[in-house]
This record gives sequence, C-alpha cells and structure tokens, in this order.
Amino acid sequence: MASFSSSNDQEDQVLVEEKSFARTLIMNRPKQLNAATDYMISRFWELFLLYENNSNVKLVIIKGKGRAFCAGGDVAAVVRDINNGKWESAAIFFRREYTLNYLMATYSKPQVSILNGIVMGGGAGCSIHGSFRVATENSAFAMPETALGLFPDVGASYFLSRLPGHFGEYLGLTGARLDGAEMLACGLATHFVPSAKLPSLEAALHTVDSSDQAVISAIIGEYSELPMLKEQSAYHRLDVINRCFSRRTVEDILSALEREATNKVDGWILASIQSLKKASPTSLKISLRSIREGRLQGVGQCLVREYRMVCHVIRGEVSKDFVEVLQLIRRLLYSLI
Amino acid sequence: MDRAFWRARVIKNHLTQDPCTQTRSLSGAPCLEYSPPELAEPAAAFDVAAMRALLDGHNVAERDWLFGLMTQSKLFNPRRVGGRVFVAPDYNQSMEQQREMTMRRIEFLLERGVFEGWLTAGTAEGELRKLALQEVANMYDHSLAIKFGVHFFLWGGAIQFFGTERHHVKWLRDTENYVVKGCFAMTELGHGSNVRGIETVTTYDPRAREFIINTPCESAQKYWIGGAANHATHTVAFSQLNINGINQGVHAFIVQIRDADGNICPNIRIADCGHKIGLNGVDNGRIWFDNVRIPRENLLNSVADISPDGEYLSAIKDPDQRFAAFLAPLTAGRVILAASAIYSAKIGLAIAIRYALSRRAFSIAPNQPEVLLLDYPSHQQRLLPLLAKTYAMSFSANHLKMIYVKRTPELNKTIHILSSAFKASFTWHNMRTLQECREACGGQGLKTENRIGHLKGEKDVQSTFEGDNNVLMQQISKTLFAEYLVARKRNKPFKGLGLEHMNGPCPVLPQQLPSTVLRSDQFQVDAFHVRERDLLNRFAEEILQRQAQGERKEHALLSSYQLAEDLGRAFSERCVLQNFVEVEENSPAGSLKDMLALLRSMYALTCMEEDASFLRYGYLSTENAAAVRKEVAKLCSELRPHALALVNSFGIPDAYLSPIAFNWVEANSWSSVQH
Repeated sequence: MASFSSSNDQEDQVLVEEKSFARTLIMNRPKQLNAATDYMISRFWELFLLYENNSNVKLVIIKGKGRAFCAGGDVAAVVRDINNGKWESAAIFFRREYTLNYLMATYSKPQVSILNGIVMGGGAGCSIHGSFRVATENSAFAMPETALGLFPDVGASYFLSRLPGHFGEYLGLTGARLDGAEMLACGLATHFVPSAKLPSLEAALHTVDSSDQAVISAIIGEYSELPMLKEQSAYHRLDVINRCFSRRTVEDILSALEREATNKVDGWILASIQSLKKASPTSLKISLRSIREGRLQGVGQCLVREYRMVCHVIRGEVSKDFVEVLQLIRRLLYSLI
Repeated sequence: MDRAFWRARVIKNHLTQDPCTQTRSLSGAPCLEYSPPELAEPAAAFDVAAMRALLDGHNVAERDWLFGLMTQSKLFNPRRVGGRVFVAPDYNQSMEQQREMTMRRIEFLLERGVFEGWLTAGTAEGELRKLALQEVANMYDHSLAIKFGVHFFLWGGAIQFFGTERHHVKWLRDTENYVVKGCFAMTELGHGSNVRGIETVTTYDPRAREFIINTPCESAQKYWIGGAANHATHTVAFSQLNINGINQGVHAFIVQIRDADGNICPNIRIADCGHKIGLNGVDNGRIWFDNVRIPRENLLNSVADISPDGEYLSAIKDPDQRFAAFLAPLTAGRVILAASAIYSAKIGLAIAIRYALSRRAFSIAPNQPEVLLLDYPSHQQRLLPLLAKTYAMSFSANHLKMIYVKRTPELNKTIHILSSAFKASFTWHNMRTLQECREACGGQGLKTENRIGHLKGEKDVQSTFEGDNNVLMQQISKTLFAEYLVARKRNKPFKGLGLEHMNGPCPVLPQQLPSTVLRSDQFQVDAFHVRERDLLNRFAEEILQRQAQGERKEHALLSSYQLAEDLGRAFSERCVLQNFVEVEENSPAGSLKDMLALLRSMYALTCMEEDASFLRYGYLSTENAAAVRKEVAKLCSELRPHALALVNSFGIPDAYLSPIAFNWVEANSWSSVQH
C-alpha cells in the first residue's frame, strides 16, 4: 500500500503500446510508485478481456514506469470510504482487484511481467499469477500487509503457499523483502534478466507470433542469467525457516524463532522476530490460517475466501488494527500537506 | 507366391491410390478432451465444509496442518503430474530404500512436533488429536503409519497399560522422543490369533533377580515384528511365565534388542521376514531369544508381579480373567484400524468417482457423445452404495473413538465388542471397496501412481492382523450368547450393547413396502432389530439344544458357525445404523440432514439387499425383497447428482488423490513425459 493520488489525468495512468502481436501495458504513476488505482484496475480488466478475444494479440507484457513496477493498491479511495463509514465502496475496489487477479491466473494467453523495481502487495497480485515473471537486479518483492493490520491478499494465499517448504509463511507473516535473485530461487520469478538487457528482451518479445508458452520461455531464456544468491540471504537457511514456520500456531513460530536465535544469530532471524512482534497479532493469525488453507485450495477458492476476509477486516469486525492504520496514514498525510 | 513379385505389388499399391479409398478421408471424431467434473456437475446442495466436519468428527485443523506439512517437504516425494503436485512414496524403490525413507519421514515428523504429547498428554483431547494425526499419516502411506504406530501404540501402549509408574517414568518420555525405538513381540511363527498358546518361555532366577527369556523351538520364534528387522532398540516380549514349576500364563517383558549404535544385543538373533505384497516400508523381523537375561523390573506388572525372592503375586486369581484384563488395552489397535480402514475406502471412492465423472465410454444413441461412466445405472450401483456404507461406517468409527477416549472400566465390554465388530466389518468393507474402485477405473487402476490398486496390497493385512476378522466376528456371537443367557436364565432385561430392543415385543414389519416406508428410519431400524433378535434367538437355541444333547459348549459354538456369522453381521450393521440415525437426528433441519437421510436409506437398504438372512429366515417376503432392490436402484439415481459433493466432503487434499481424479489426458501427454 503506497502513497496517495490527488486527482490525476486518469487515462495517463495506463499507457498502451501495440507492437505486432504483442501488447504492452505500462503503469504510469511513477510519483506514486505506480500504486494501482480503481481506474487502473478497471482499465487492465477491460484490456485483458479485449485481448483474450482478439486473435491478433498473442502476448501481453506488463511493466511499470520509473523505479517501481507497482508498490501496491492505491488506498486513497479505500481510506476515504472506510473513514466515511462506506465500507461497501472500499469492498468494490477489492472485488475488482481480485477479479482481475483471477483473470490473470486463468488467462488463455501468456503474460510477461517485467518486474524491474518494487513489486509489493497489489503489484504482486497483478504479476505473480501471470505465466512469466521477469526479475532484475532492481526487483524488490514483499507482502507487507501484516504490518498494516491486513493480510496478504490478491491471491497470495495461493501463490505463497505453493513456494518451497514454508517459505510462503515466512514471507507472508514477516513481510520480508526479496531481491531478484531470491525471487528466481523460490519461484516467484520465472526468469532473471539484467536490466541492461531489458530493451533487447522487449524487442525480441515484440516479434513473437505465437502464444506458445515454450516459445516465449525460450525467448526470455536467451536474455536470462542465473544470479548468485547473496551470502546473507534467508533463502540459504530454508531448513531453519521450514523448521520454524511449519509450526502450528503463530506463538509456536515465534518461540521456535527465539529458540533458533539463541543458537545462531542470523540477521534474518532477528529481523523476523522483530517484524512478528511489531505486526498486528490478529493479522498474523489470520494470515497464517489463510496461507495454510490456501495451500489446499484452488486460486479461485483462495480469492473468494480472501474477499470475504477483507470485507470483515475493513468493517473493523475482527480487529480495529487495519482501520487504525489507515486513519494514522491519513493523519500523517494531512500533516504533510 | 514369389516374394519379389509380392513386394513389387505392395510398392505399386503405395504409388497408385485406389480411387474408392481416396474419397474416404480421415475425419474422425474431434479429439477427446478432458472436462473437470466441477464444470458439469451441479453445485453442492449442502454445506460441504459442514459435512466434512461431521465425517472427520474432530481435529479438522490439525489434520489440515499435517496434510500441509507433508505436501511441503521433499522427503515425502512430491511429483508434478499433469500440472498438479501429488505426494506419495516411490513404491518402485527397493525394500531397503523404502524402509530407510519411512524412518526418515518419521524423524521429520518428530522434529516438526507431530508426536508431541502422544504418550505424556493424558487427556481425551490429546488422545483424539493423536488419532486424527495417525489417520492423516495413514492416508499418505500405510507403512509410515504402521511403523510409528507399532512404536507409539503397541510398544508405547504396552508401557502405558501393562506397565506401572516405574515403567512410565523410565520409558514414556524416551519413547515419545524416539530416544528408544520400540516394537512389539507377541506373534510367533506357530501362534498368531491364539496368544495364549505362544511358546516363548520365561523363568526367574532369584539369586540374580533376573528373568531369563528363551525361544525353545523354531515355532516359538517371534514373527512379523514390525520395526525389528532394521531399527528397533527395544521390544515388549510376550512369553509364558514359569514360576516354581507352575505356568502362570502369558506376561510381557521389556527386552533390549539393539544398542544405541544399532548393533544387535548378545543372545538375540534377528532375521528378516522378507519382501511382502505391500507395506515394504515396514521392516518386519523375526526374533529368537537365547536365554536372554533381563532385570526383574522389566516385567510389565500392572496385572501381576514377582517378588524379588521369586514369589508370583497377582490380585486376579483366575488365570482366564487375568489374561482378559491383560489384553484389554489392545482394543486401541482395533479402534484405530476401524477408523483408518474407512479413510482408505474414502481415497478409493474419491478417485474412482471423480474419474467416473470425467471418463466416457460408448454412445447409446447415434451421433451422441459417449456416456459418462457414472451416468450408467450399473456403474452407479457399483460405487454409490459403497459410498453410503463408507459414510455410515465413518460415523460409527467416530462414535467408537469418542467412547474409547473417555473410557471407564464399565465400558470395557462395550468397547471390546464394538471395536471387534467394527474392525472386522470396516476392514473387509475397505478391501471390497478398493477392489470395486480398481475395477471401475479399468486399466488405469493398475498404475501404482493412481493409488487405488496399490492400496489393495497395502491394506490387505488389515483383515488378519490385530485380530483375525473371522475370529473377531465369532467373539461377537459368543458375547451375545452370554448376554442372552444372563437375560433369559436369570430373567433380567437385556442391558447394554444396544440390545434393549430385545426386551420389548418383536417389531412387526409391514406387508406392503412402498418407497415412503422403505425410506423411513423406523422401518429400517425395526428390520435390523427383527433380524438381530431372530438370529440371536436361533443361535442361542441351537447352542442350548446341542448342549442338551451332550455337546460341550465350545464344540456347539463351533458347529453353529453359520448362525454365528449371520448374527455377527446383524449386530454390526445394527450398531452402524443406530449411530447413523443418531447423527441424522442431531443434525438441524436442512439440506445436510436431507442428504444424510438419503445416505442412511441407501446404507440400510443395501444391507438388506445383500444379506441373504432377510429372505432365508423370512423377515422379508420375496416381493418385499424385490421392492428393496428396486428402491436401491432409485436411490442410486437420486444420489448421482450429489456424488461429487459427497466425495469433496471427505476433505482429502488433491495431492493425496491421484492423476486420474483430475486431468488424466494432460497427465499422460507427451509433454509430461519429456519433463
């Protein structure tokens, strides 16, 4: 969840490029780190549907202008509605967003997302479900919702739960950040391409004349590299992560981490403990259960369930944490203006 | 004919096209496409999650946690087939490899805290959690469940129930943490069912204060001892106890068989039982004791003891009663088996029914698509009655578990007879269901990867271990006969085991059996009561008559085996129907309750259709029996639209089913081969 839009020229929020059989959608709100507005989501929906039925479109490419791919859903409208007691309008935003996520997850044509920058929250939702995710050395992934009193939504209970071992629980509960190499290692990204090679990659993709996934994969493969994981990467310690984050409850996970911290003080363990202690406790429990249930459900079921959950959260029924965070953000914003 | 001439003719035929064959082009039917059952079937008419809660009965969240734990670990052999991930052991590995993998998986589960509190929690909730986790592990792999089952329920159970405080303190925690690896040495080459006849002999040396355990002959070697061949460090050894020249009967002793480094202890010989038709992940061993000396304290002394000077002490004077008290704890095994057999049947049915909802064969009208397997009435009757029986038995298994975890001494007899009846009936039902499901999947049922066929070999042992099914069923009729004697001879009303219906007048079954009557729970319960009552009377009268003619009771019981068999089945089915009616009555009115009513009728009427007793002894006229059979067919067509929802209600994650339950075309595609 990122910064806030004043009234913008809406149509510029999504730029479209047509090159042969490829269509490139560019999220264009760089000052707001491409935070997804209701308009952007509707425009994406419109375009995706159009392209699905158009035999002249074989491939959809998604990217972001500026240093972010997409930092999340734009909560300005959501904040306003919730604080005015109109939770139903906020719910509509989420419903549109999750429906778009579902369309992408079940899309009949390949989607290539160029994740050359921040990809968090809602940004993950409109890329990870697609067939190809290209990370770069600039990629920064996170699902930070538990710090905000929310839970990893946008189908995260589906894709996080399917990461190796219990890495998904680790990411979803702690909001830990991953770089491009880590995204590739765990499967969130399908390829890693150095940013310098992106223009050539895109040019190559523009020459595509088939929707065959194998063909597209091969093209991206020609520009791909296998980057080394940084030495302190938490992904090197998947055994410890699995041991701790497979525990049945949040309390057990926390004590398991604290036990590990007495043995060997890895930076990521301390950071994880801190994140868990700072996050909304209700959020953590909801997120854990969501990921665990999502593991045994299809993407559609996950999104339906998440929508139900988010409605309860924004109504402040379960806990006031999310609503309070939004109010805090709003006060901060107004104090800055 | 000249070969060259013939060859030239063949080549000529390649080059010159026959004009009539040219016009017949290869336009076949469009390619067969897989369509998931979810697309064609109606949405569930009832709350699937609520039905699952009813079927599982307890600890649903824990079950899902363990499912998830196993899916996410490479140790459990996840494989991507047709775009989906399945977890199942690689049964193509050698016996030794499978045994190693099983042990490693147990170590993983131990490390993840799955076994926490299994022997030390001591609450009913803890017991239920343990049973639930065992059931889930069993759905992954029978060998896994058996291997840790032997350790926790047999070895651990023996320490808990045959041992006393000093044994609990010394052994339970180490067992829970797998510091020791236990096994259970009761069965011998010469004696399985007849535990009292085992030939291992133990004597006592009062000067050294040690017992000496010995295998006196080859038939006395311990056999089928799970865990013994490779890994176990300790065993509970069952043996005759000879004190001062008197055989005091069968007792249990703790014996160390391997040291901490895995070397076999002195005076112990161990051999392998060898490759089996299934369960090759369990290392079954054979054990010989060559005058092994163990401390006096190693006698599990909850029922009897030895003083340091060698005096035999027991509060129970009668050796028969002592033996019965001794073996009472073994009911846990039967309770567990009854429940896990049903989960195995669920796996078979979920796969076979999902397959039958996506597989087509033959058109019955020209230019029509081929018909879905489950749209054939005959296919429905093969699978749907078994589905209803599985539901019924599931509720009974839960009922049994509930009374078991809250057991009191007064309930011992009930638990003993119910666990015997259900263990026998449900394991037989499972084998029958697996066979039918295998056949219903045709050739695909032969692939190990598709699970059903493989489960047959894995689960076959259930009908003869932990009590031979036939022997168990005979015990039912014996127990009922004893109840009969108490009631009739001492003029007391029947009390307990649900036999109270014998105290009232015999129900009169209506002569006409329209659908509404056939489906009423009153009629169904009455019919089962009539059968049980009449068979018990006939059986008892035949025994008494034979006794009056000079036959010994034991001999009379053997001779009347046919009635005994019919009676055992009647009792078991009546108990299951009773449990089902209770579950249905406790359900609030609504679509779930209606669904239960439909299933209950299918259960009851299928039992009536299949048991010859109803016709043989005249509880139903031939017209009525025909009406019952017709009603079963009607019920099949009414259950058909609910088949998908009913198997979804099992709550078995996709990864634990098999490729034929999903897109079996994709799973077999060439691109799958290439990966």
